[in-house]
Amino acid sequence: MDELKQILAAGPQLQWYLALSAILFTIGVAGVVIKRNVISMFMCIELMLNAVNLTFVAFSSYFRDVSGQLFVFIVMTVAAAEAAVGLGIIIAIFRNRESLDVDEANILKL
Amino acid sequence: MFTTLFFIMFAGMAIGCAISVVYQRNPLYSAISLIGVFLSLACLYITLAAPFIAAVQVIVYAGAIMVLVVFVIMLLNVEEEEHRITKLKYLLPAAILLGLLMLAQVSYVVTQVKADSRIKLSESNVGITESIGTGLFTKYLLPFEITSLLLLMAIVGAMSLARRSATLSPTTRIIPGTQVLPKYLVDPKAKYDPSAVESDTTEQVEKVLGIEGKREE
Repeated sequence: MDELKQILAAGPQLQWYLALSAILFTIGVAGVVIKRNVISMFMCIELMLNAVNLTFVAFSSYFRDVSGQLFVFIVMTVAAAEAAVGLGIIIAIFRNRESLDVDEANILKL
Repeated sequence: MFTTLFFIMFAGMAIGCAISVVYQRNPLYSAISLIGVFLSLACLYITLAAPFIAAVQVIVYAGAIMVLVVFVIMLLNVEEEEHRITKLKYLLPAAILLGLLMLAQVSYVVTQVKADSRIKLSESNVGITESIGTGLFTKYLLPFEITSLLLLMAIVGAMSLARRSATLSPTTRIIPGTQVLPKYLVDPKAKYDPSAVESDTTEQVEKVLGIEGKREE
């Protein structure tokens, strides 16, 4: 009980943030492997990117360096650009195949 | 003490929404759960004294990217996934084994990290907009400029992907020798047939395509 109060008073540690980021990343990887819909796989990729963003910001906060947050800014920009182009590809695939199932998209011929 | 409680609350919300993203069969429910993940991560960034990144996270991720994803889901009218039978039986034990392996690696890394105490928002200038702007325009100017080029590439790529292929109007004259066109561009009714139409005169092209005499003058 005393130790619990001590942990609560000390504030969240860096290890907690890293563990949370690892858990989110693992859930994202599991989603990319399990999901069959292309858009759901894309959303799990965004989840992985956000887990890495959390790691960067946690390190930047605990080591008092702004470079981590700058890199998070750039990662967010890259994710936005990737979202635009990726969703354009998904729409083009859907136009030609009429299906968003990755199991059916197993040959390069349209 | 409140920061610890906030961390536990938002971390639990993030993990719950992340599991919901993977578990839901309807992609629209996954998208809404992902918005929940982004908002709880923004709150975690505030506990880490990074208000600029928290605001940018809400604006860019939850406000732009997820809106785009929801647009696409609604546009393509995506339905729920059906339950399928996994053909590979050894996939689940392999996944559990690799998951435990990754958990061991992460635990080792996490216990080796030694850091000072967490900074408070009131006494730090690491996460405020001014310091991020200063770093972005002095020390990290090259990544900034390259990122702007990347955005230009994304715009051009998205535009060229979204355009439908243009079909020639019937009154276009095909100048012999200057272009070899695929069949589906010249004949508006042809399916996607990329075989080339090569000829010397427009009349020959019409003969090949079978549309002689049908063009309007």
